[in-house]
Amino acid sequence: MKTKSLFGIIASITSLILFQDITQAQLPRERVQIDEPVENVFWATTNIGISTVRNLSASNLNTTIVHTFGPVNSGIDQFFGLDDGANTRIGIDYGISDRLSIGIGRMTFNKIVDIRGKYNFLRQSTNGNRPIDLAVKTSAGINTTSGIELEFSDRLSFLLSAMAARKFNRFSLQLTPMFAHFNLVADGNPNRLFGLGILFNYELNDRFSVSSEYLPVIGKRNSGTRDALGVALNIDTGGHIFQLFFTSSQWHGEQFIMANNRDRFLEGDFRFGFNIYRVFGLGR
Amino acid sequence: MTNSGHAEFTSRVPLHTFTGESGYLTGMIDYEENIIDFYLDLNTLRTGIDRRDRDMFRTLNVDEYPFAEFTGEFETLPDLQSAEKQFVVVVGEFTVNGVTQNLIIEGSIQSDENGIVLAANWNLLLKDYEIEPPGILFYRVNDEVNIHVKALLKPQKREESLNNN
Repeated sequence: MKTKSLFGIIASITSLILFQDITQAQLPRERVQIDEPVENVFWATTNIGISTVRNLSASNLNTTIVHTFGPVNSGIDQFFGLDDGANTRIGIDYGISDRLSIGIGRMTFNKIVDIRGKYNFLRQSTNGNRPIDLAVKTSAGINTTSGIELEFSDRLSFLLSAMAARKFNRFSLQLTPMFAHFNLVADGNPNRLFGLGILFNYELNDRFSVSSEYLPVIGKRNSGTRDALGVALNIDTGGHIFQLFFTSSQWHGEQFIMANNRDRFLEGDFRFGFNIYRVFGLGR
Repeated sequence: MTNSGHAEFTSRVPLHTFTGESGYLTGMIDYEENIIDFYLDLNTLRTGIDRRDRDMFRTLNVDEYPFAEFTGEFETLPDLQSAEKQFVVVVGEFTVNGVTQNLIIEGSIQSDENGIVLAANWNLLLKDYEIEPPGILFYRVNDEVNIHVKALLKPQKREESLNNN
């Protein structure tokens, strides 16, 4: 027994000495300081209806499915809007580079097909060298409804928006001045609309965040329209991002929300909707 | 000595494989003492999808264990003056997720005018390092992961390497 104990002590001391030798011979472990972009300023490329500064990495394909139903205050008879039929947009976006993406989608209302592009000029960096995200988005919408005898040019509308955002710990804020142009409008409505999207996101934890957006139209607006407001719960399942939201507008896309929203969220005129995002890495 | 070596892993999920890469592999070969020491800041690994990166960091517990490390020795010392590619076997300890396992790695080493090129390839089982393979719904990341490293090591004085990398 004593022999075993003595052997054990000698073995331990030998191991300790060897371990010390190896440890002393090791390189000092140092973390790499990378000037990298702040992650998850927003969790998805769109927050309810307004595009965010988030963009796709190169060679990533993002699929989106968006639904907004009828007004919740339609009551149980319409199952709180779910029986009213949804305005659905299905789309894909592709990252050409880490800063540039292009996309196409189609929504139910007016059978609008939209093509869009987003470019990130600046990414907020973890070391503070770049304090904000800056991006621009441009989009063209085409009304593809048949049998309405419109010239092709009359079916077109356009959007140009700038996005400036910053993440403060768990809280992110984005301001989005935007300009929309409709080639054809109803009498008395302006061809050009200006708006200012105000978005925020607050991370509750790694899986959940709450977000909101407000889109006042600035200056002349379409008759009877209201500023849009929405609130969302974002859920990160690991593979998908789900946004469950209540919003006043049933339309998708900034120019169409500005041009068509007639509901007031704070007066109870809001509807349920959800967005689903899934990114596929095609590069590697 | 290098601090810009290439480290790469390939992992499989059903119907798909994906690769994570880093260009920040740091390490040295101490020929006199026959010591090989490499480490990688796991936060520098990128798979091409930032959300997947975040899940990977969580799976690897990088906040608590930021480094994957290997310290060992050549089974037989190669001739570092030779310009021919030499097959080498390295014996040592590999640590990730705070778990250390003995490891034997086969690789190659070759000298050229810029330094010494070291390359190695091996498979590891996540369960050996107490890493729970992440899974979503009905599919799960395969337990076996292939690791590939390649580094150009440039001559440096031993003291400089140990004191200031």
